[in-house]
This record gives sequence, structure tokens and C-alpha cells, in this order.
Amino acid sequence: MIQPVVEAKQVNKVYGGKGNVYTALDQIDLTVQEGEFVGIMGPSGSGKSTLLNMLATIDQPTSGDIVIAGTSILKMNEEQLSIFRRDRLGFIFQDFNLLDTLTVRENILLPLALAKMNIHELERRVDEIADKFGIRQILDKYPTHISGGQKQRTAASRAIVSKPSLILADEPTGALDSKSATDLLESLRDLNEQDKSTILMVTHDAFAASYCKRVLFIKDGRMFTELVKGHANRKEFFNKVLDVLSVLGGGISDVI
Amino acid sequence: MTLFDIAKKNVRGNLRSYLIYFVSMIFSVIVYYTFVSLQYSEEIQGSLQSSEVMRSVFMGASIVLILFVSVFILYSNSFFTKKRKKEVGLYSLLGIRKKTIGRMLFYENLIMGTAGLAAGVALGTLLSKLFTMIFLKLLDSAIEVSFGIAWEAIVNTTLVFAVIILFTSFRAYRLIYRFKLIELFQADKEGEQAPKASLAAAVIAVILLSGSYWLAFQPMVTSQQMGRNFLLFIGGMIVGTYLLFRFAIGRLLRASQANKSRYYKGMKIVDTSQLLFRITGNTRTLTMIALLSAVTLSAAGVGYSMYYSNQQNADEAAPFSYSFISTGGSLDQQAERIITEDAKHPVMAQMDIPVIVIKGDVSALSYVPSGFPADELPLKLISARAYNKASGALNRKENVGLSGNQAAAIRSRYSGDLTLSDYKGHSISLITPQEKRTVTFVSLLEENVLRWSYPDVSIVVSDSVFNEIARHISPVIYKVYKVEDQQTTKEVTNQLTKMAAEDVQMSSYYTVYREGLENAGLNIFILGFLGLVFLAATGSIIYFKQLTEAHADKARYDILRKIGVSRKEVRASVAKQTFFVFALPLAVGIGHSSMILKALTSINLIVGSVAVPIITSMAVYVVIYLAYYMLTVHSVNKIVNN
Repeated sequence: MIQPVVEAKQVNKVYGGKGNVYTALDQIDLTVQEGEFVGIMGPSGSGKSTLLNMLATIDQPTSGDIVIAGTSILKMNEEQLSIFRRDRLGFIFQDFNLLDTLTVRENILLPLALAKMNIHELERRVDEIADKFGIRQILDKYPTHISGGQKQRTAASRAIVSKPSLILADEPTGALDSKSATDLLESLRDLNEQDKSTILMVTHDAFAASYCKRVLFIKDGRMFTELVKGHANRKEFFNKVLDVLSVLGGGISDVI
Repeated sequence: MTLFDIAKKNVRGNLRSYLIYFVSMIFSVIVYYTFVSLQYSEEIQGSLQSSEVMRSVFMGASIVLILFVSVFILYSNSFFTKKRKKEVGLYSLLGIRKKTIGRMLFYENLIMGTAGLAAGVALGTLLSKLFTMIFLKLLDSAIEVSFGIAWEAIVNTTLVFAVIILFTSFRAYRLIYRFKLIELFQADKEGEQAPKASLAAAVIAVILLSGSYWLAFQPMVTSQQMGRNFLLFIGGMIVGTYLLFRFAIGRLLRASQANKSRYYKGMKIVDTSQLLFRITGNTRTLTMIALLSAVTLSAAGVGYSMYYSNQQNADEAAPFSYSFISTGGSLDQQAERIITEDAKHPVMAQMDIPVIVIKGDVSALSYVPSGFPADELPLKLISARAYNKASGALNRKENVGLSGNQAAAIRSRYSGDLTLSDYKGHSISLITPQEKRTVTFVSLLEENVLRWSYPDVSIVVSDSVFNEIARHISPVIYKVYKVEDQQTTKEVTNQLTKMAAEDVQMSSYYTVYREGLENAGLNIFILGFLGLVFLAATGSIIYFKQLTEAHADKARYDILRKIGVSRKEVRASVAKQTFFVFALPLAVGIGHSSMILKALTSINLIVGSVAVPIITSMAVYVVIYLAYYMLTVHSVNKIVNN
């Protein structure tokens, strides 16, 4: 039976207080099953990043519950959350978030080093992943000396090296040219299809969203609608996404 | 809104980020003002009899301070400027004219400087009273310190700082002209790359440092040797320290990366790589701090050991409370009456020591006081009986038994490294008008019973030899007295000095003690003051530097937190890296200062028991330094871990 990896129930997030209340998220329910590749779309300020931050355990909801891989993350303390992030979650960010003091190799193995993994297993995994993303020849370079696409592939390698239950991607193609973006998205799709990795991706970009199996749309902090790719090909799915976006409005059409 | 208003608003609005520069500005003013106001204070001038000497010493120290303060302010100013380059670039990008930006920065700097000056003088006025009290306490002086404002000091301080402030303001004005717009935007990225750790340079660093350490252990007898060795010693130390931090430390860190199974474990990978990245940019800071620490520790060590060993010095230089050469007439009786009538200082012992002043050929000895021919050195002969009696009168245990041509050397001051084997078996000849009488050394006595005078070569001979020579050269009689509480015999000493003629060599323990105390008190005060200033400066330099880096590191720690590093681990990582940056220059500084003190001991600048004062001053230094460390960890942690 397929396990839900993420279960968010009735999640609310309210900022401010006393007459100046701003509701960022309103009664959001979300379930991601194991092996899914889910996209979250919405205009700026719709609350999609807030949602991702909560799933990433770096922000807490005002009310509701979030269960990841069978564990409620709201009951954990800071220390447990850190370990949870390290072992269960992988992150890919728009601005890469690589440490410029570490080489590409060291950036990738950082989560494993933090988990104090055995050196042989650690090196084997780095080699394996470097091959998968085609970055073997730049392993000993520093992030300042490689291209944006290489940086993002490094970040993706780091995100999956610890074999997390869930990979969270926040606008991963935002800072990439279209060729690099396509390469990265194809890598993510391969990861999802071949390794059965569960991926949750927040994006602005309909093209990026078209690689997902399912896309959720958020507007003004509420779940707006949901699209499932099913047996459609990517091109068809891309058009469907565009259709929803034109209904959704809110300044997103100018991005496309 | 005028330009001046914008500048004013800038300062007020950004006071937090300006604070670093502002605080170091105030600090510099306080330090300088306090010192200068001491110089002008009546209490201090009056309480020292040798105020001419004091004024020149103070003058010298204030020149050192001016240099130091200017360097310190320029340093923090360029720090401050570096942080603001982007802001300045933005103004330019937004289309404000260069001239306008320049003038704005000029005003800003002027406002801050003036405010810093005013605050510094105000605080300095309070602190200078405190320092004056400490100073007088050190001199055993019970003078009340009045609370006053020294106008001369304010004028002096204002003049000095006006020059510095105008200079930095002008530099600020020039900032926008000195750099291209693009350079202003890239200020953050300067000097941040993994160093090329040249092995050759690392080896040279080690060779230079061990070479100069080795030099500290070499004997330095002639002034030529001294000059050459000190030049090499200090030069090797400075260059070696720089190379050490520039190359050798990077090399070591690189080597520690080689052990992958240890390096790839926990936060070690982050700590090591961050340190490695920073080491190039930090080379100058670390070198400066190591050298400043070395200088401070040496200065404090020297100052405190002088003060600490003053009594011991006085005991050596003037074993008896009073001593003068008998003239056989009324002077003797007059002096004796003055001494014995002093009820506050009852006489504990008194005696006559007959001394034969003679010339001798001491070519066979390894130590000959410089400036005198070895074959005609002036000597003082004492008989064994007189020596033993005097030794007894001073409550000492040291005794000597001599017969026939046996003799005992009394250790000359400042010849601490000579041992019995330098004397035992060696012979010297004593030149009387009739003959050359040869005596042979059998022992070395540690303590003299006569007051110190140069050349300080006293020899104890057997009673028979003494009497024999006394037939040809009549002995002079030293009349010596030991009294209670000899450190406070000011009145009697003054009377005796007034009464005595030049040739009776009137000397008193009080004079020697007091002179030593004044010198040592002045030294410990000036050296201690400079030491505190340097310590505060080194601490502040690391503190500010670490804080600046913390702002740059914040993003890195945010990333780490996102990929699962707990706050606790971040804190530990901060503590570890900060420790490295603090401990490294401190360890080098302590090592260097030990060698400097060793070298100063071998040229007799430091005498007596030095272990206690030196260890004490090092301990104090380390404790204050530790406080800076904890403050830094706390502040950095607050920045990166929020």
C-alpha cells in the first residue's frame, strides 16, 4: 500500500495581530503520496512559499497539523527538527544555497558528513550521484567557479544524497537559463521515475510545472484547484496548466 | 532638506552599524585624554621628585600613544568604509553627484568624530581621576586627588584628534573618487578565497621563528652583539609571524583536511573550510594581534617585575640602612647621633667594616666589568672576619672560612649567570706598592655587605692576608647601621645627605628604595597603561573583525540550518572557529613574549625573581582576553543564530 509522505491538515498561518491580521494560509489540506512529483503554483503572495517553509520545518503553522513520513513535526523540538531535516528532507532552492567555502564535492557530501556516515559509503554515494547529474569533472571546483546550471545540479545532488523521504524544491529553475532549466527538470523527473523519489516543487513557471505529475494551485492562501497529468503528455499538460493560470490571474500571466 | 541634514540623518538612522566605528573612536579619545591629563595633573607632578625625568617619559609615551591611536582609528575607519561601500555605490547609481556624496560622507565623518571626541573627553575626565589614584597608590603616596578638569589636556587632545578626524573625513570624501562603481559593489567579496599554501614559505616561517627563539638564548655581552642580536631577533620574529599566519597555518589546515574520515565528520568540514577561507584575509590582523600581545605581555612583565623586585634590588644595592666612610672626626659622631636619636627607627645593628681599596690583575677571570683594564681593576678587599660579622648583623646565614692565600669572590650584581666554576681555582694578583700578592679563589659568595658602586668587584680574603696588606695600604672604615622600618627613613636620610660631604659616600637604603620605587612605579604605570590600551585594542580588533565576518557568514549558517544543523551545533561551530582565531595569536604572543623576556633577562634589563610577576601579568592578560572571547562568541552567535 502506498504511504502518504506528507499530510497537512487544516493548516492556518496568520501574521500580525490586533487589528492588523494577515492570513497567509487558510485551511490548507495537502497529501503527497510516496513516489509523487507534485507542483505547487500560485501568484506572488499566494502563500505557496509559506506552505513550503512549513513543510520544510523552518516555519510553524498557527494551527493545524503537519505529518511527514509518519511523524508530526509540530511536536518536535528544535534539536529533533534539525535532525529530521538532515535525515528526511532534501532542499533545492532558487538561489542554490551552496556554501562557497566548500568544493562541489564537499557541498554534496555535507549532509552525510553531518550525519557522521562511514567514509567509504559516503564517497561511494557522492560518486554515484555525481555521475547521475553529470558533474563528476567539477567535483573539486568551488561554487564561484561553476555555472548556474552546474550549481543547481550540485544543489540537487546535495538534496538527494542522504536519500530523503521528501525532496522540497523552491523555484529551482528561477535563476537558470532555459537549457539548464530543462536539464535540471529532466534530472528531477528521472529521479522521480527511476528512483521513486518523492518531490514537492514550488514554481512560478508553467514549463517547470509541466514536468510534475500533479499540480496544486493556491490563491490568496486557499487551495484553488488541482490538475493531474494522468496519461497526458507534457505538452498537453503544459497547456492545461496555462489554462488554469489564466483563470487564476493575479499577475502570473506576465511571467509566461 | 540640506546635505548636512541628510548626513545627520544617516548617522542617527544607522547608529547601530556606526556603533563599531564610534566606540573605537571614543575609546581612542579616552585613552589619549586620560594619559595626557595625567601628564598635566599637579598631583602627579608634585609627588615625583624627579619630575623632569617623568615629563620626558610621559612625553615619549604620549608619542607612542598618538601613533597607536592614529593607526587604530584609521584601521577602524577603513573597516567602517568597507562595510559601506555598497551604500555609497547605490547613491551613485541613483544619480547623486559624486561631489554631493563626497561632501555627505565628509560631514558624516565630521559629526561622528566630533561627537566621539566630546564623549571621549567627558568619560576620560572621570577615568583620569581613577588612574591618578591608582598611580599614586603605586608610589606609596597618600595624596588626595582632587577632581578637576585639565584644560591643557582638553586642548591637547582636541588638537591631536582634530587632525586625525579631518584626515579621515577627507579620506571619506575621496572614497567615491577612489573607486569605480563596480568595485564599490563588490566590496564584500574581497579577499575571500582559499589560500595558496606555499610549502617553502611555511618552512621559512618555521626556520625564522625557531632561529629568533634560538637567538634569545645566546649570550649577549658586548653592546655590538646586543644590537645585532636584537635586530635579528625582532626582525625574524615579525617576518616569521607574518609568514606563519600567511602560509604555515593554511598549510596545517590543509593537512588536517587530508584525513578524510576525520574531516568528513560532523561540522568539522564547515569549520575547517571557513577558517581556511578566512586565513588570507585575516593574516594581517592575526599577525598584528600576535605581535601586539607579545609587546603588551613583555611590557607588563618588565614593568611588574621591576616593581615587584624593587625591594630585592634595594636590598642588594644597599644591604645596610645607612652607610658612609668614616672620617674619624666629628662628622662620624654627628651622623651617629642623628641615626640613634631617631625614635621611630631604632638601630638593630651597627658596625665598622674595614675595606682596602686596591688594584688587582684579574686577567684569569671570565668576568671583567667593561670599561676597566683587566690587569688594573679597582677592587675592594674585606677580611673574612668582617664579612662574617656583617653577614651576622644582617641576619644572613652566608659565612666564609678562609686561610692563607685563599679568597672568596662576592657575586657582582648583574652577573647572575656566573657559577662557582668561573672562579674556583682561578688566581688573581693584588697590587701593593711593594709586591704582587697572589690569592686563589675557593668559593663564591652570593651577597655583598657593602653598598653597590661600579665597578662592583668585592673580594673576601683571609684575615692574615688582609692584615698583611693593611700594613701597606691603610683600610677605609665603612660605618654601617641597620635600623627598623628602613623604608621610611626620609627625614634622617635628608639630614644625613645635607650634612655629608661628597667623599664619605653617604648612602641610605631609603634613597635607593625610593628611587627604585619611583622608577618602577612610573614604569609599571606607563607600561601597564599602554598594556591595557593594547589589550583593549587587540580585543576590539578581533571582536569587530569577527562581527563583520559574522554578518557575511549569516547566509552560510542559514543554509546550514536549513539542511539540518541545529542551533546548538551552530553555536559550537561559532565557538570553535572563534577560539581558533583568538587562541592562535595569543599562543604565538605568549611564546614571543617569553622569548623577549628571556632576551631582556640576558642583557640584565630584568633582574631578580621574575617568575611570579611575569606569570601574574600573563594570567591577567589571558583572563581579560578570555572575557573578549566569550563576548565575541556571544555576539557572533546572536548574529548568525537568530
